[in-house]
Amino acid sequence: MADSAAEARIDQALVTRIRLNGDRRAFEQLVRRNQGMVRAQLRRLLHGDAAAADDLAQETFMLAWGKLDQFRGEAKFSSWLYRIAYTCFMQAHRAPVKHDHADDEAIEQLPAPMHAIDLQLDLERVMQRLSAAEQAVLLHCVQMGLSHEEAAYVLAMPLGTVKTHAMRGKAKLKVWLADWRDVGTEETS
Amino acid sequence: MKESQDDTIGALLRQQFEGPVADDGFSEKVMQHLPPRRRRKVWPMWLGVLLGAAACWICLINVPLLHVGWRDWLAGEPSTSAIGMLLAIAVTTLLAMGWGLLESRNR
Repeated sequence: MADSAAEARIDQALVTRIRLNGDRRAFEQLVRRNQGMVRAQLRRLLHGDAAAADDLAQETFMLAWGKLDQFRGEAKFSSWLYRIAYTCFMQAHRAPVKHDHADDEAIEQLPAPMHAIDLQLDLERVMQRLSAAEQAVLLHCVQMGLSHEEAAYVLAMPLGTVKTHAMRGKAKLKVWLADWRDVGTEETS
Repeated sequence: MKESQDDTIGALLRQQFEGPVADDGFSEKVMQHLPPRRRRKVWPMWLGVLLGAAACWICLINVPLLHVGWRDWLAGEPSTSAIGMLLAIAVTTLLAMGWGLLESRNR
């Protein structure tokens, strides 16, 4: 927590340097400090398409450079970047997302996984059957470790909606992965 | 029990997330494509202020209430006209300030 606050202060100091004298080296520092998570965020949103994610990440940093005067410090700089990245993603992928509303029954009828090594693959598969909003909320809140408030800012969603999506998403995953729990219990007994 | 299941799902999801991507020249590529920084132009704002002030002056120059109020104010007499003029200035200023605050909050 303290680390995160210190990181945010460093980002803020770099932003101030850019605003005062257009310091490109300060911006380079900001890119180096934040590119890893922005690219990881976009890769997850694009289901692993690294090339497309990097293109969007580059667009994100270009926009951030151009719009830096609009950053008011109401959120962390990293959250502001995630928000731009998510907006770029949404604009680039306006086409309806497949499996937006999954057929719960069909998923419940999936054959029970037999080997624990497949768990991650199954998780990947059932994640894609969550609604786009639930996937986005779980990505930001659970995987990237943002608070509900930060995720609400990044995704431009009301806080209550974020909490609901997080709860529903986890509940669905729990049901769909229930067979794994049974396998785990059998293996341990 | 419910919490431990939540933790398990959370742990699985975190395990699935690969974490930050290594730079591998990405930052350099971004910096190479970075355009020169645009300075925000301030002349449109000052032009607007001047035009607004000129428009106010043209509209109010022939209003007798202001002439009387201004004269009384200079003479140190708090007449109805002088107080009315000061109130009008105060209300206009407050409205402009409120509008400015709302605009800055929405940005």
